[in-house]
Amino acid sequence: MPDAFYRTGSGRTVIRLDDVEKSLLRSLSAQVIEFVAPDDAGDARDPLAILVGIDDEATAPVDPALARLLPDAYQDDDDAAMDFRRFTERSLRETKTAHSRTVAEALERSGEKVTLSDQEQASWLGFLNDGRLAIGTRIGLTDDNHDEIAALPDEDPRAGLLDFYDWLTYLQESLVQLHLDDLS
Amino acid sequence: MSIAPSERTALSEETVTDRPWVTIVWNDPINLMSYVTYVFMTYFKFDRAKAEILMLDVHEKGRATVSSGTREAMEIDVAAMHSYGLWATLQKDD
Repeated sequence: MPDAFYRTGSGRTVIRLDDVEKSLLRSLSAQVIEFVAPDDAGDARDPLAILVGIDDEATAPVDPALARLLPDAYQDDDDAAMDFRRFTERSLRETKTAHSRTVAEALERSGEKVTLSDQEQASWLGFLNDGRLAIGTRIGLTDDNHDEIAALPDEDPRAGLLDFYDWLTYLQESLVQLHLDDLS
Repeated sequence: MSIAPSERTALSEETVTDRPWVTIVWNDPINLMSYVTYVFMTYFKFDRAKAEILMLDVHEKGRATVSSGTREAMEIDVAAMHSYGLWATLQKDD
């Protein structure tokens, strides 16, 4: 398979995407935003929100995919983990939301040829990783069950999601390699 | 075996205070080895050899200690790792 991302002679970073591929990425971008965007309905200064904010069970994500995107910072100290979450989770959600928006904007302004600035590439890497984390966790991917999921019948939604996941992996790997070459 | 309780307590408290905090990155089945290397090089400014050794520790041993220092500094590093999508925690060095 050719590299997904490549550099032009003048050093620009480019990926060519057809309409279907662009629409898949746009849709993933919208889903990630819906999934992680901070809930602006709740104001942190609202006494009720503060009450909810200090309730361990109310704020630690129950959904495994969300828990993977917004992990605990302390393993054996729930109070410290919750304090950390109260101070950092909103900013983490905003970062991930911003990455997704950056991807959507680049797709919006581009035709089949999508050219990315340095800053946009960092956002694409973060977005591709967040998308893979969300999908990989949802389909229960482990170190050794990839082929098992790939062999599931077509009507099993996990099989289709794995195809999409593998394509995102291919895109991310391609973009990471360009950056590793730059850094080395 | 008997240890004078008061002395023992005083000693262990001092030891605990002196221990630095560390940032640990944990293995997961999704993050790419190349991406983990890229994050270590980009954020910690490690050279590729060091970044790859730490990445392989994560992959093969299940975890790697990637930084150490004050608790506040480690919280900043952990938050950064989370923003890259790596699974990281901080704790006292053991």
